[in-house]
Amino acid sequence: QLAVKSNISLQQKQHLVEDELELSAVRHRPEGLEQLEAQTRFSRKELQILYRGFKNECPSGVVNEETFKDIYSQFFPQGDASTYAHFLFNAFDTDHNGSVSFEDFVMGLSILLRGTVQEKLNWAFNLYDINKDGYITKEEMLDIMKAIYDMMGKCTYPVLKEETPRQHVEVFFQKMDKNKDGVVTIDEFIDCCQNDENIMRSMHLFENVL
Amino acid sequence: MAAGVAAWLPFARAAAIGWMPVATAPMPVPPQEKRRGKDGLIVLNVSGTKFQTWRDTLERYPDTLLGSTERDFFFHEDSNEYFFDRDPDIFRHILNFYRTGKLHYPRQECISAYDEELSFFGIIPEIIGDCCYEEYKDRRRENQERIQDDEEADPGSELVSPDLSFRESMWRAFENPHTSTMALVFYYVTGFFIAVSVLANVAETVPCGAAPNRAKEMSCGERYALAFFCLDTACVMIFTVEYLLRLLAAPSRYRFVKSVMSIIDVVAIMPYYIGLVMTDNEDVSGAFVTLRVFRVFRIFKFSRHSAGLRILGYTLKSCASELGFLLFSLTMAIIIFATVMFYAEKGSSASKFTSIPAAFWYTIVTMTTLGYGDMVPKTIMGKIFGSICSLSGVLVIALPVPVIVSNFSRIYHQSQRAEKRRAQKKTRLARIHAVKSGGANAYLQYKRSRLLIGPDQEVTVETLMFLWVLHVFVLLAELRPNSLLHAEDWLKPPHNHEFLDEKTFETNLREVTLVKQVSRSSSISSASSPHGFTSCCSRRKRKTFNVPNSNMSVGLQDSIQELSTIQIRERPLTNSRSSLNAKFEETVPLNCEQPYITAAVISMPTPPGTTPEGDDSASSTDYSQANIVRVSAL
Repeated sequence: QLAVKSNISLQQKQHLVEDELELSAVRHRPEGLEQLEAQTRFSRKELQILYRGFKNECPSGVVNEETFKDIYSQFFPQGDASTYAHFLFNAFDTDHNGSVSFEDFVMGLSILLRGTVQEKLNWAFNLYDINKDGYITKEEMLDIMKAIYDMMGKCTYPVLKEETPRQHVEVFFQKMDKNKDGVVTIDEFIDCCQNDENIMRSMHLFENVL
Repeated sequence: MAAGVAAWLPFARAAAIGWMPVATAPMPVPPQEKRRGKDGLIVLNVSGTKFQTWRDTLERYPDTLLGSTERDFFFHEDSNEYFFDRDPDIFRHILNFYRTGKLHYPRQECISAYDEELSFFGIIPEIIGDCCYEEYKDRRRENQERIQDDEEADPGSELVSPDLSFRESMWRAFENPHTSTMALVFYYVTGFFIAVSVLANVAETVPCGAAPNRAKEMSCGERYALAFFCLDTACVMIFTVEYLLRLLAAPSRYRFVKSVMSIIDVVAIMPYYIGLVMTDNEDVSGAFVTLRVFRVFRIFKFSRHSAGLRILGYTLKSCASELGFLLFSLTMAIIIFATVMFYAEKGSSASKFTSIPAAFWYTIVTMTTLGYGDMVPKTIMGKIFGSICSLSGVLVIALPVPVIVSNFSRIYHQSQRAEKRRAQKKTRLARIHAVKSGGANAYLQYKRSRLLIGPDQEVTVETLMFLWVLHVFVLLAELRPNSLLHAEDWLKPPHNHEFLDEKTFETNLREVTLVKQVSRSSSISSASSPHGFTSCCSRRKRKTFNVPNSNMSVGLQDSIQELSTIQIRERPLTNSRSSLNAKFEETVPLNCEQPYITAAVISMPTPPGTTPEGDDSASSTDYSQANIVRVSAL
């Protein structure tokens, strides 16, 4: 009888653990509004609007990769945005726990929309650096390029050929890699981007997004 | 794009930073959204229930009423809110659609009310979520069918418009026998002749005994050939005339000729004409005999008279796929088992299974569990397979049958519901008319006068047959004077729905009084009789009522009221049942219509005026008056 009881309790515990994991995910709540206000560059109202949209789509309070890909694919229906969304997810998920909470989300957005040019470029570098080792290799860049081209789908003009991503990577590296060591470091990246007018102009477009 | 995801647009735009550094051309400027107003709360007042939501929520769907500037038409300045004079319960669902992006259909709401609300708020029903869409579509289909039924039924219950041409009125008479007496007569006459014709076809094959100049026994058809021929001719005449009249009256002759009923009519009368035309040749007499078989199709003409038969035919037609499947699976099984049985029984000597087609007969008989026994397996293998065959036969046949049955049940209930709706509609309209014209008083009288009458039901072939059987039974009962038939059994019938036809109603009552006379010792329960009698005649009373011998005023309303009061009064007065029985004999002439008077006379052997025994005068007068009333209630 005791054995049965213990068996049951063990099972219950297991269920409890599983439930707890789920529940803990469900019960995730962001830090207070004031804290977030301090940490990000958004106003109170903007945070409210952002959170309402966030919570509407993800009632559990965190986004996992699947949902992230789902949401992103809805913005780009013409192509396959899942690979790019994967990289994006990793960029947002700063603590690498497999889920993006509201804080991660809002902090990322804060940098992208309200940050300085330096911070934005930093973030972009972080996005490209898939394994987060501080260097962008050609393979990493190729992956990113392919992901972007996949996302654009067939709606590009002129129509892309197979080698276009590779060629594009070559061009990029020629531009960025100053010391021709085959990798792009963050300084090389920031340096090169700041000297490029097109990029600078594009950066300023982000300011009116929210 | 789902509504909630729209809130992530800033994020999507921000993510463009990803391809910005690798872009070779400068990024295009993002489309400048029109500067939205400050996002605030909107108050929506729907018939008093206040709903509040963000402005942005509503503007997610700009092509609906609430999401566009159309809502400004409903802005109420005094209370600074948007007022809608609509149903708040359904509005809840509509607002939820804005919030969640999914429109749900509540099961308890009426489908047409919901549709109206949706169309008012400019929301197309196609966006109902998958969870509720099927239910919505089913309810909508039912509603459409109901509307269609009502539309079809309407022409029948319309008042006769005088400007219908003769042809149109004839067609209406054919299609709806209830519209006029002529049509009803025609309906019954054709029905009668169909029955006669079918019975003649059946009877003429019965052996009638040998004719005086022949040794061999002959069938009735051969013996009385002339009589049967005349009968057949008469029936065919009637059918031909009927067919020609229908053809003449049909609004679309081509469609009429193509219809099933007309084909049946033609097939029913053709053999006769072909037989007339053909000479009495030996070669063609075989074909002639085959033609006679087609005469039995006349029985299908009954389907015009019986709704049930039509439903059966319609069910079979709609279950064509199930029937086809049944046939197909049976054929497969028959072939398999016949083959197996043939090879199993091949070894056995003098086996009846001479070939596989020969084994088909065995398989069919076994699978349908008939088991005639003319072909029986003798080997052990044969017996084993034979038993497997019979078991599987049960299964194969039992599987599609419930589908057909449920189809029939659905269609039958549908037609019953249609009938009920039509009847209800009639009574409802009549009641509404009564209320509107006379106020509450008239309504109450109307209700009382139709106290125990049930919903109208049409007199069909089935009810006629039932009545015929009933009459026969009553006649038989009457012939036995000492029957212990209890009159109360016969007094209860007015509750029945069948007796709406005047003729049958009248005959029924006549029998009731006859029965009463017969069973003197019957215990007429005082409780049941007043009810029965009141209801019997209360229906008649709707037309005429005359009580000259009483001091009651003439007039429908007072009489009915008096009746009811007298009813109440007389119950406590009943002492003995036997005295009541005696009273029934001393009835005064009935004041209802003619036929009732004759009936009452029959039941009244003693003249009125004899003083009752054992009662004091006061109550006796009450009694007699009560009796007057009661019997006149007949």
